[in-house]
This record gives sequence, structure tokens and C-alpha cells, in this order.
Amino acid sequence: METDTPDHLPQAKLVPPKGARFSAIWIIPILAAVVAIGIAVQRILGEGPTITIVFNAAEGIEANKTFIKYKDVNIGQVTAVRLTNKFSKVAVTAEIQKDAAELMVEDAKFWVVRPEITLSGISGLGTLLAGNYIGFEAGNSERRQTTFAGLDQAPVAAGESGRQYTLIARDLGSLSVGSPIYYRRLRVGQVAGYSLVPDGSEVRIKIFINAPYDRYVYPSTRFWNASGIDASLTAEGVSVRTESLVALLVGGLAFDLPPFAAREPAAATEATFTLYADRLAAMKAPDPVARHFVLYFKESLHNLSVGAPVTLFGLNIGEVTSVGLQVDPDSADVKPRVTITFYPERAMAYIDEKSKGIVESLSSADAQRRAAFVRRLVEERGLRGQLKSASLITGQLYVAFDYHPGAPKQKVDLDGPTPILPTVPSALANLEEKLGSVVDKIDRMPLEAIGSDIKKDLESLDQTLTSVRKLVTNADNELVPGLKRDIDALHRTLETAERAMANANTSLLESNAPVQQDLRDALSEFTRAARSLRVLLNELERQPSSVIRGKVESRSGAK
Amino acid sequence: MTSAARQGLVSCLTCRLLTRTASPTAPGHCPRCGARMVVRRHHSLQRTWALVIAAAICYVPANVLPVLTTTTVASTGSDTIMGGVVYLYQSGSWPLALIVLIASVMIPLGKLIALGHLLISVQRGSVANPRDRSRLYRVVDVIGRWSMLDVFVDSFTVALVQLSPLMSVQPGPGVVFFMAVVVLTMLAAQSFDPRLIWDPAEGQGEAR
Repeated sequence: METDTPDHLPQAKLVPPKGARFSAIWIIPILAAVVAIGIAVQRILGEGPTITIVFNAAEGIEANKTFIKYKDVNIGQVTAVRLTNKFSKVAVTAEIQKDAAELMVEDAKFWVVRPEITLSGISGLGTLLAGNYIGFEAGNSERRQTTFAGLDQAPVAAGESGRQYTLIARDLGSLSVGSPIYYRRLRVGQVAGYSLVPDGSEVRIKIFINAPYDRYVYPSTRFWNASGIDASLTAEGVSVRTESLVALLVGGLAFDLPPFAAREPAAATEATFTLYADRLAAMKAPDPVARHFVLYFKESLHNLSVGAPVTLFGLNIGEVTSVGLQVDPDSADVKPRVTITFYPERAMAYIDEKSKGIVESLSSADAQRRAAFVRRLVEERGLRGQLKSASLITGQLYVAFDYHPGAPKQKVDLDGPTPILPTVPSALANLEEKLGSVVDKIDRMPLEAIGSDIKKDLESLDQTLTSVRKLVTNADNELVPGLKRDIDALHRTLETAERAMANANTSLLESNAPVQQDLRDALSEFTRAARSLRVLLNELERQPSSVIRGKVESRSGAK
Repeated sequence: MTSAARQGLVSCLTCRLLTRTASPTAPGHCPRCGARMVVRRHHSLQRTWALVIAAAICYVPANVLPVLTTTTVASTGSDTIMGGVVYLYQSGSWPLALIVLIASVMIPLGKLIALGHLLISVQRGSVANPRDRSRLYRVVDVIGRWSMLDVFVDSFTVALVQLSPLMSVQPGPGVVFFMAVVVLTMLAAQSFDPRLIWDPAEGQGEAR
């Protein structure tokens, strides 16, 4: 824009002051950039690995909200949850913190922690407030991994130290994962899992014993099922055992060292044990030497169970190992067969010190001598097996060996793997037999003949009675008239006696009886005599001299 | 239109007294209030550029980093500004979401863009719509302080919500950057000399 400036001189230009080409203000954006870049770098460097965990179900897992916790410390956070594997599984993507990146090894375990209430306890209560989270357990491997398969259930004893063992059991019983394991009634571990062996014949139970207690598990330790109430009715009475109320409700296991076993070093991890049904079975001493015998009975084997005791003179020396039937090929006869196992060690325990030597020498002797010993017992002394009832309530039978000298003599064959020992019928069977024979005899009695005999007897008795009656009548007829006469005579005699008495009475006791008259007269005479005497005495009193001078005429009377 | 500068006149920026310049190179001091007078602010464009660039840098972490970290018994959650907007919108409070969106996201960004546009246009000596650009500058200048709304809410929440075992709220690093964005853009607006908009309109650049 040209103005109306008069002169056309060049115009001076305004130049900005020197030395200020770059203002200090540029420090601000540089600073901001440095800080922002610093934070970005820190973020990128601090970023841990991103892992994927595949779960069957992702209950309560939410992106950006669910954490992965190890020992209750956050080590990562879920960033995405999506379906995978044809929508059958859930892939959870999580960012792991950089300091926890080393934990992501191939045998690390992930599971969803959720609140759980079981009979044996409550777990994951914190998740009620905080929501479910993903639990983590570190592995031992060195190899890093980014894809994991999540567990459906929390591994038992996650993060606890201890040892895992395997039990072999016939069945699972009432056990479940988490069932308690007791040692001297202390809760020392729990059932970690179970599986059927491939052929399905037994169950393998994985158990976990917590750290301080795992050293009480020795190679010879016995495990038994402590589930519920173990009530046993034996000849000794009723015994009830239970480990704890929890075990009563949810089942449990217990273990202990049998008294005969030695305390060896603790069992190795992953050692395998047999699970016994109860404490009694678990604590039973093993019987290393066993001899088998077969017994044939002629009676019912009802109530004789496998495991029933075999006694010798009432002492337990073995057990019944099988109960079955035997078919005789020749006669096609079927008879009950009982196989028993005899444990010489048990019998040895009962033998006193002195005779032990004899028995020991016998047991070390050859089979021939042993057989001779047994044969002598059986053939000469009458050693027989017999079924006996252990308890009247349960009716359980056992096999008892006793001397039965009255038993028919029998030869024994002790050769062969399972010699046959002779038996006698049981007392109960005997009783039955005897009762039967008694009833038989009663049956056979000639009751009708007896009846007619009795009838005859009764008739003759009747006759006897008739003749007795006749006799009495005769007596009556013949004796009574005579008697009457005698009685009449007696009567008369008595009358005479009575009259005599009356006479006596009249002559002696009546007022006008002569005796009384005479007596009265005599008495009046006596009275007069007494009066005269009184007069005399009075006279004498008044005039004592009269005795000498005679009677003086009454002067005194004149006065 | 002749500018005052061309006629050797300068206005005091403090008391707005119009005086003659002491010399063509140095305008001197205001005879009334004693403030140092400038024909144009020194290094206005350069300063403004620096501040705008710094604000732009800070704008990125301000939106990426969390402004608020909420710790409850259940979990720990971090929220960015945009996260808060999304949450407010999803929970049905769309008017609040709109306010936060405008005050905390759009205004700072708008200021950065506006200042950038003004700076570029001035540097290129653009003569187009100087009146509109002046109005834009006034809007930027006035609106700047309202962007502190987010910082204000943030500090309030942090101070009030301290129910220690149950819940606590901590400020995140994002809020510092956000505050930096607001302060830097305000300073940038201050350092920009709107008179530069009009200089090219005289046909002769008196830039810088």
C-alpha cells in the first residue's frame, strides 16, 4: 500500500534483537517430549508377556477386571475373553507383569478361583466381594510357554509344601477330592485326586500330606479308610471308632505305623501304598508263613465268611480263606468245602518258652516229621475241625479245632499242597440231630397199646374199689348191731352210776340228811360248851380267888 | 487501514494508553503506568509454537494414561478420560458424558488446532478472514480456563473418596499431563499476539 508519504527515502527495517534466535521457551516442549517418551519407553519395557489360557468355562472372568494371582499377589490381568476351538472352550488372554514373566513355564497351573462351600470347608470367600480371579501355581520347568490349559478345579494344596503319595484301593468309598487325612487324629493332608486304573480293577487315590507331617509316612506305614463310623460287633463286644465329625460326614483317611513295623526313613514322594478298609485290617501283622488245609463239612456254611477266624483250643491261629463246594467226581456228591489258612507264627506266639524249642525243631524239621506230628494229633488224639458259632446274636461261624476223643477214627492224608483235615459236626448240628432222634423215638412209641393197657388197669381198679365197698357194707351189717348192744349196756351202767351218785348226794349233802343233822347237833353242843367256858373265864377274871376260896355271893351285884 | 505501529504509535498493554514510540526501534516505557511497552510481543510466534508443541506432546499421555485409580476391596481400576466418558455414556448419563467430552477432550484439542491454525496463517502472512481469526483467538483465550473442570473434579474426588479399607481413589499420572495441556495452551494463547493477524493485512509484513 503506497501512502502519501512525501519523501521516497528508504525505510529502515525493524530487526529483532540479536542473541535471541532461539527462545528458552523451547525447553518446555523438549521437556514435555522427554517426559512423554520416557513414560512410553518405561511402559513398553515394563510390559510382560501376553499369555493365553484355555478353560472349559470362564465363570466370572471379565476382560480388564479379572486378575491372575499367585500367592494372593497380582501377577497379571485378563485383557480378553473369547470363545475358541469351535466355541467349545474359552480362551482367556492375559498380560503378565514383567517381573512374573519367568513364572510362565510349561508346567505352571491356572485355574478359576471361585467361592466354594463343601462339607470340609469354605474356600475362596474373598472372591464373593472381589469377584473370581485366576489362581496360579508355579511349575518347576525351565521352558517358557505362552499358551496354557486351565484346570477345572484348583489343585489341592496349591503352594503348600509336602509330599504326594498314591494309594491303591478296591473302591473309592466315600472319599472325594479334599477329603481329610488324619494322623493320630490330626488333620495332616487331603485327598488330591483319584482315578480308575485303565482296566478298572482298582482305584488310585492321590493324596497330599502337608510338610511337617510327611516325615511320618514310612514305607511300611498303613493307610486305612476312616470314613464314617467303624462299628464292629465282635465276640469282645461292640466297638465304635471314628476319626472326627468331619470324617464322619465327608469321609477321610488315616494312617499310622503298625506296631510291628520299624521306623525307617520317610517314604519317597509318589510312593504307593495299599488302602485298607479299616484300622483293624491295616494294623494286622503280616503272616509270612501260611499253610493251607481243606475241610469238608456236612452241614450248612451259612454265616461262615471268608476271613472268619480259625482257632486251636480257642486261640486264633488262622483264618478261613475260601468257602465253596466240592464235587466228588466218582460219586457226583456235592459237599461244602472250606479252605483255611494256618499261620504257624501265630501259634508260636502262644507256646511257652520251654516247649518252644520242641516246636521250633519241628518246624525246621523235614515235612515227613511234621506230617507225622499232625497225624498223631489227628489220628490218636482226635483233633477235629468243627464249626462253632462265635456269637449268638450275629450267628457268625468260625472254625474251631479241638480234641474229640469220641470221634470216629480217621486216617489223614497230609501229602499234597492242601491236605484235608477231618471234621466233626458242630454242636449245634449235633443238638439238632439228637432232638431229631428224640422226636423219632416219641414217634415210634406204641401209644395206642399203652392207652389200652391203661384202660385195662383202670377197669381192674374199678373192680377193686367195688369189692372194697362190699367189704365196708359187710362190716356195717355185722359189726354195728353188736356194738349197739354194748353201747346199751354201757348206757345202763352209767345210769346206775348216776343213781348211786344221787343217793350219795341225798345222804350226805341235803339239809335234812342225817349226817348233816348230826353235824349240826354236834356243833350246837360245841357252841354251848364254849359259852360255859366264857362264863367261867369271866368269873375267874373278876374273882381270881374263887379258884381257891370258892364262889362268893354276888356283892358286887348288890352295889 | 493504517496500523498504529506504522504511524509510530504504540498502545500500553497494561493500561492501554496510546503513546508515541520513544524511538523507532525501542518503544520505551509507558508514561502513565510505567510498564514496558512493545510494538509487537517479542518472539510471539516462536513462544506460542513452543508452548503449543509442548501441549500437543502432553495431550497424548493425558489421554492414554489413567487420570484416576480406584481401589476397592474387590479390585483396582484405572480410568482414563475417554474411559470415563464411555462409562458415563454407557451408564446412561449422556449429558454428563457430553460435558466431560467437550470440556476435557474437545476443548483442549480444539485449542491446539486453533492455535496451530493461527500460527500457521500468521507465519504464511495470510490475509484471509483476519476478523474471523481474531474472533477465534478471543474464543481460545476465554475458553481456556474451563478446561480445568476435569482436573477440578479429579482433585475433588481424590480428596473426598478416602474410605480407606473399603475404597480409595488416587490421582493417575494422566491428570498431570492433562493439567499441563491446559496450562500450556493457556500460556500459548497468552503469548500469541493477536495484532500479528492484522499485520499482513497492511500488505507489508512486520513479522516477528
